[in-house]
Amino acid sequence: MATDTRILTLARPAPRGILWSLFLTLPILIWSLLMFGNPNAHADRLGHIAGAITAVFMVALFFMMMRTGSTYRWRRIFFVSLGVLFPISFIHNLVVARGTMGIPIEEMIAGRTPFCFMPIPLLILPAAFTRTLVFPGSIASTSHSIAAMVGVWMALTLVLGKGWCSYACFFGGIEEGVAAVPARAKIRKLDPRLRYLPWAVLLAMVLLSLALFEPAYCMWLCPFKAVTEYVAARNLLGLVQNVIFILLFAGLVIVLPFLTKKRTQCSWFCPFGAFQSIFNKISIFEMKIDKERCKPCLLCQNACPNLSLSKESVAQGDTLMSCMKCGACVDVCPRQAIVWHIKGTEIAWKPERARLMFLYSAWAMAVMFGGSIIAQGIYTILHFIV
Amino acid sequence: MKLRATLGYTAAALTVLAALLTPFLLMGLFSKGFVALGFHVDEMYSGGPKVRAIPMGAYSIDVHRPVYPHMLQNEKPFVQLDWQPVSALPQHISDTVDIDGDGQPDIRVSFDVPRDPKAPLHVDVDSLNPRYEAMRNAGKEKYSRLIVRVDKAILVRVSLRNP
Repeated sequence: MATDTRILTLARPAPRGILWSLFLTLPILIWSLLMFGNPNAHADRLGHIAGAITAVFMVALFFMMMRTGSTYRWRRIFFVSLGVLFPISFIHNLVVARGTMGIPIEEMIAGRTPFCFMPIPLLILPAAFTRTLVFPGSIASTSHSIAAMVGVWMALTLVLGKGWCSYACFFGGIEEGVAAVPARAKIRKLDPRLRYLPWAVLLAMVLLSLALFEPAYCMWLCPFKAVTEYVAARNLLGLVQNVIFILLFAGLVIVLPFLTKKRTQCSWFCPFGAFQSIFNKISIFEMKIDKERCKPCLLCQNACPNLSLSKESVAQGDTLMSCMKCGACVDVCPRQAIVWHIKGTEIAWKPERARLMFLYSAWAMAVMFGGSIIAQGIYTILHFIV
Repeated sequence: MKLRATLGYTAAALTVLAALLTPFLLMGLFSKGFVALGFHVDEMYSGGPKVRAIPMGAYSIDVHRPVYPHMLQNEKPFVQLDWQPVSALPQHISDTVDIDGDGQPDIRVSFDVPRDPKAPLHVDVDSLNPRYEAMRNAGKEKYSRLIVRVDKAILVRVSLRNP
């Protein structure tokens, strides 16, 4: 108890003034106008309204980040909105174009399967050995093509590293939203070995994709097929695939996040997340723990939605390589011992500068990529309302 | 330490710059770079390149190169034939096709052409050459054995017997 009192005496600094916060938000305001102010970007009035709402939304969240000094809760609002609005616009587009969420075989033969980022690691070995992409899409002809998504992924990974999973992934927001619902976790003891599971899934799926010459994860294990599109069940095998998708979605994206308050699909299952962790090594931004300030209360470990902190890593002053840079640990630390950090610089020396440089990069990407998806979702909803 | 910090800040500033350049330059650059690597979509999906066209009057039959499965792919080798354009096809097709171009017919293909583009298709294939498998009332069970309508063509995939 005495320790708690001492911790609480190190209060968070006072919020920034409104004018200074507005000044810091100005670059994002200009960026949002650039992204959503293009009159040719949307053809009709509803498109302009959706773009304007999105721009105001993204700028307001960034302003609150600047004003309060807190990152996680404002980012979470964006991320959950992204996770909810993506399926709305995606499913609507599918139903309008095809009348169903099930992708028929003729669409696959025609190369019209939209390519998401999940199969990227699965394509590498077949492409390396045979120059063949094992995905029924087109390489370059549409905005949903393989090359377009690979281009987006490479550029955003260069900027964000594993931060992709907190600022760009259009799936993770669903479970982050579910995890935010209960006040307390019902299951608190989580086996730390479970955090190695995504690596096992990644290895298995990469090898299976090479052996079967198909995107094995998409065909068999992707929980998000339940809210996007799936192979139309032509036979018993297809039915089994779809039952697996629904069970995995219900278990990993709804039930377990609710019980644990963690992003369990991301922490325990997602092979793309494991693959993306590799790119944290080349990212210049990271989280560091100032060991002199840290009295290991492990609030950060409890707050981390991705199990990216352990007792050992805290003792060493680092997060694990799966850290998504969501900022939950920084926000919760009562001693401000966890800080945003630029590699090569002294730990805890002007951490706000590191935070700002990361957030400008990350939020610019969030506005450009996630923002456009949010705008489409809002457009779909407006389309139904008006 | 000072040099490392300078390098760190330089890299961080370059990251911010990369973020600003992403929609205008980097995304397109990386996409074009990926296309330039010369990959192609698995022929099990795309059907392989067209090798010749057989004129049939108002319509034609495009013959594709045979496609062979990779590794443990759960499909048979097949050859794809495209009847096109659909608008020029009669209500019933019954054509003998010389697939390998040796002057001898290899298969006889029969199917109805419904005017409703969403109506299900079924095909009968009689094998006139033991290299090709016969099909009865086949729909779209597998990539290597199907009939589907794709845009302005009706595609029939005929399985090859394993050598």
